[in-house]
Amino acid sequence: MAGGTAVLNVLRRRRGDDLQAIAKTPWWEAHLKYFFIAPSLALLAVMAVFPAIMSWRMAFARVTFKLGELEIEPIGFANFTKVFSDNLIIGSTIRTGVWVLVVVSAEIVVGLIIAFLMSKLHSRARMVFTAALIIPLVLPPVSVGAGWLVMMDVNFGVLNYLLSLVGIEQQLWLADDRTALPSIMLIDIWQSSMFVFILMYAGILSLPQDPYEAAAIDGASPWQIFRDVTIPLLRPTFVVVLLLRTLDAARIADRMLVMTRGGPGSSTETVTLSIYKYAFTHFNFGYASALSVMFQVVLIILATFYIRRILQS
Amino acid sequence: MVGERSAPLVLSRHVLMLGVVLMVLAPVYWMLMIGLKTESEFSQIPPTIWPQEFTLEWFEAVLGKRGFGEQIMNSVIIAVIATSIAITVGSLAAYGLSRFQLPWGLNYHILFFILTVRMFPQTVTVVPLFIFFTQVGLIDTHIGMGLVHSMLELPLAVWMMLGFFRDIPRDLEEAAMVDGDHWLGAFRKVIVPLVRPGLAATSILVLIASWNEFLFSLILTRTEAQTLPIAVANQVTQFDILYGRMMAASAISIIPVLIFTLLVQRNLIRGLTLGGVSGA
Repeated sequence: MAGGTAVLNVLRRRRGDDLQAIAKTPWWEAHLKYFFIAPSLALLAVMAVFPAIMSWRMAFARVTFKLGELEIEPIGFANFTKVFSDNLIIGSTIRTGVWVLVVVSAEIVVGLIIAFLMSKLHSRARMVFTAALIIPLVLPPVSVGAGWLVMMDVNFGVLNYLLSLVGIEQQLWLADDRTALPSIMLIDIWQSSMFVFILMYAGILSLPQDPYEAAAIDGASPWQIFRDVTIPLLRPTFVVVLLLRTLDAARIADRMLVMTRGGPGSSTETVTLSIYKYAFTHFNFGYASALSVMFQVVLIILATFYIRRILQS
Repeated sequence: MVGERSAPLVLSRHVLMLGVVLMVLAPVYWMLMIGLKTESEFSQIPPTIWPQEFTLEWFEAVLGKRGFGEQIMNSVIIAVIATSIAITVGSLAAYGLSRFQLPWGLNYHILFFILTVRMFPQTVTVVPLFIFFTQVGLIDTHIGMGLVHSMLELPLAVWMMLGFFRDIPRDLEEAAMVDGDHWLGAFRKVIVPLVRPGLAATSILVLIASWNEFLFSLILTRTEAQTLPIAVANQVTQFDILYGRMMAASAISIIPVLIFTLLVQRNLIRGLTLGGVSGA
């Protein structure tokens, strides 16, 4: 992207040959480059930036929205101070933190193992297996959630049947507040590990070969090569995976909305789900907006932290 | 990386991976099969791996339900609108950013900004959009939902197309222009044919993402523009969960995605590497 571009180069070359041609260039063509990006920026401005600004405004207000009439009455920081005595949102925040930690680390381990194993296979087998493994990733989370709901049925779900084969007692899965969140974690790990796999696999395939040859000459064991060569070389991929997976995992809500609606109790309620409920079951738009913008700040800090590290490497 | 070890070791790796793949796909297989079993069969212990008696009663019940056909159509229309907007607008931006140098390092800032939007919490945009859409009459409309989905997937479209445009050597365009072609002619004759596979893969990813999206559709639609994931979710939250119908509805939403994925598998992997399908 640095330096002149093709189009500009040609224009410059023409300038040398024929100044008249340049003089005839209509103004819009001279500023052509801005017209390419303008539609994207306009779409994002209207559909994302304008709403976000409105959220910030509503966060400092009591908002009533009835019959299409919007009233925004500024109340200062009242919505924000309420957060610290709201046990529901404190619980959701901790739960979301645990969710992110467990799910993302498990997905990285599973994804990395599969990617590493895949890189050791014959190319024909790789293509077929990779095609098969991306299937869970692209399926609608809602439909997948519905399917797991059936498989996790306490009485005739296939999971309890499989457990009974190896002598483990019946589990309540989603019906018990202690196992509900781990059950949904399992589904997320099943589906999103494949995303980590794809990224890691692409990373492994693009690694330089020289360090491997050097390690082979030194007589390193496969485990040593994996630990001392592959893992350090994959660092940039790790950071990208962490960035994308952390931010997506932190915003999770759709699985819970379909499978448990946050229950039993509030055992599967996440930050996004709580905000959704404040906004659309209690119609407390002001408080929901305050929570949203605080969450946005946290995510931006997280993203900036990761993106800096990506740019460093 | 293959072939440096003994044959039994190589074989065992392939067998191991086959096992992993089967385990990963087993739940998908199971879900699809439940919709084809009778009620007494899918609730029996031990369960049957292959349906003893195939039935289409659940599919008939779901498809015959009032509104279900409309919900499928809504999903299709919204996905097509979203894809058309995101691909057109996103490719333009990607082409511009890959070919022109803007002042003040704007290229970098714009890309960074577009990436940031992908990381907004859903609630920060959806609550104001709910108010805004209600006021201007876009709530529960195809065009409204299409615009929302195109906004959600625009970052993916821009980043992915940027990669494809950057792969095209500038010399090709330059040569065409030196030969006397206008930039637009060069774009049409040189660039478009070369990025066609990239465009196809990006379109499929946006289509799938829109087809799968749940939270925004749940909030911004009611009846007229209600999408398929909402229909599936409604089967779950009904007072009495009907497993057979629920799995038939799920299968109907899963099968098109399966077909599309297998069609463009190779380029899809590249797209997933670049940005991933949001919501998954």
